[in-house]
Amino acid sequence: MTLNFAQLVDDRPDDGVFRVHRRMFSDPAVFELEMKYIFERTWVFLGLESQLPRPHDYLTAAIGRQQVVVMRDGEGALAAFLNSCPHKGATICPLVSGHKRLHICPYHSWSFDSGGKNRAIKGREQGAYAPAFDGETHDLIPVARFASYRGLMFGSLSVDVPSLETHLGGARAMIDVAVGQGERGLELVPGAVGFTFAGNWKMQLENCSDAYHFSSTHPSYLRLLDHRTEQGVEVPTAISGTDYWLGEGEKPLGGSICFEHGHALNWNHLDVTPALPLYHAIDDLDARVGPAARDWMLRLRNLTLYPNVQLAENLSSQLRIIRPVSVDRTEMLAYCIAPVGEPADRRALRIRQYEEFFNPSGLATPDDAAAYEACQSGYRSVAGGWLHGYSRGMARRRWGGDETSAGLGVDVVSASSGGMQLGDETIMHGAYRQWRALIEKGMAADGAVA
Amino acid sequence: MTGPDVAAARAFLEAEGALLDDRLWDEWLALYTEDAVFWVPAWTSEETPTSDPLTEVSLIYHDRRERLAERVWRVRSGLSLASSPLQRTAHMVSGVRIVDEAQDGSTRVRSTWTVHRYDPRRKIQNAFFGRAEHRLVRIDGAWRIAAKTVWLLNDLIPTVLDFYMI
Repeated sequence: MTLNFAQLVDDRPDDGVFRVHRRMFSDPAVFELEMKYIFERTWVFLGLESQLPRPHDYLTAAIGRQQVVVMRDGEGALAAFLNSCPHKGATICPLVSGHKRLHICPYHSWSFDSGGKNRAIKGREQGAYAPAFDGETHDLIPVARFASYRGLMFGSLSVDVPSLETHLGGARAMIDVAVGQGERGLELVPGAVGFTFAGNWKMQLENCSDAYHFSSTHPSYLRLLDHRTEQGVEVPTAISGTDYWLGEGEKPLGGSICFEHGHALNWNHLDVTPALPLYHAIDDLDARVGPAARDWMLRLRNLTLYPNVQLAENLSSQLRIIRPVSVDRTEMLAYCIAPVGEPADRRALRIRQYEEFFNPSGLATPDDAAAYEACQSGYRSVAGGWLHGYSRGMARRRWGGDETSAGLGVDVVSASSGGMQLGDETIMHGAYRQWRALIEKGMAADGAVA
Repeated sequence: MTGPDVAAARAFLEAEGALLDDRLWDEWLALYTEDAVFWVPAWTSEETPTSDPLTEVSLIYHDRRERLAERVWRVRSGLSLASSPLQRTAHMVSGVRIVDEAQDGSTRVRSTWTVHRYDPRRKIQNAFFGRAEHRLVRIDGAWRIAAKTVWLLNDLIPTVLDFYMI
């Protein structure tokens, strides 16, 4: 296909213009390019190391549309493989996760150890194989690159990617903040929740960064919190204890940061109340990580690591994996994450607040998903052309960062901050610039016509 | 025997489903005791639902009727896009059986259920289905729900799941 980037994204920073075309979300050809040149050519989040505590544990994941399995071998080393038998291609590990020393293909019983090595080929002696067969490896096919940062595991189907640390860049500081909340790191709370929506995957990518939608998409949730406060209901909520959508303070109360390679953070001030799951640990955090890192831990933070994982932390904390299915369909896999060793009552509070806000059976997320679907439906009106949803915050953006981001001590591309109502949208620009960089790089490498 | 017989239990569960389908949600709420536990476990693996709401994630966990009343308010409020318009539902219940009667006079009833739903917003339909356990207590001459656990078997949720769809 021919793809003219300028027809999909109108990026003219000097003119104060950034627009994305409706076709970006609705054209199946764009989606095909994204799978090929984004998801299959960059680092993609696979899971947490803490999901594989023992030798021979494994979990399955996806890189774009391709299925992979991450295994811990008998020595404790982690590696990722395509979840497909080299013999006939059958899925080797059909389950979400498990514990196996030996993975036996269900079709012809080729077997592999937890390090991916082929251990047996059924009837090899009698099989009259040619010598060429013996000259080939029959191990599971490794994912081209595999690496972890602070317990977050990533894989790339392409060798030609920067190191994971370089790829994450300044966003590592926000991973440090998230992981550092627990002295022993983060763990997944048991109970995975999956849902689908009839919309493009980039809707979810954007929404996590979109502070502007909160008061208009979630009024039913906010009114309920107000109602509880009026009733003196004992259900604690941190958002209801603030003038979340009203206040304009002296110092910045919210903002966003664009890191290199499409990663982004939006943050907001939260009043420190017992409703914060970390409330009990504030003094400990002060001593262990210092006041600056502690303050970041107590803020509302939505971190997007391009292209497929988000850490959303407000009154609870969610790890969210985005799985694009087709141009207008996306599958989400969501977990509650929590500091290892959290006290039982704080954990229970975190779980309740998680369910209420983040579940597709909760009081907020369904309205987000319904909004994505309203957009996807609206994109059929392609004659409408450019979308206007990337302009807020443009006059506040500081290239290279601002006062708030400077406190992180890392390189950032840009930052905007202001009042609770800023609802910055420049946060989304970085993802589209990374989109362009990856697709152009991929097409150039393939000699494809742009 | 003080608890309901199977026929009475079946009639009760069918009536609960009808109240949900007819959107008589105030009457539906009145079926529950004030401290009723309404629980929809999530799943930890292909085979295993979560079993401890204090240490594991549930799809829904409420330990008082007020939380259900909030849900009723929310979907009626016109402030929830996912609930506007409301989906049309048809509850069916089958396999009703009495599990046991406890010392406190409550009766546990198990059933199998399906809810067909049609979303007029997107013009799509699907069904949720699963198993349920009600703990019924007798209060002022009527059966009330002291606890309800809903095991949702098809838990990859298309966009939204709410109280009236299960």
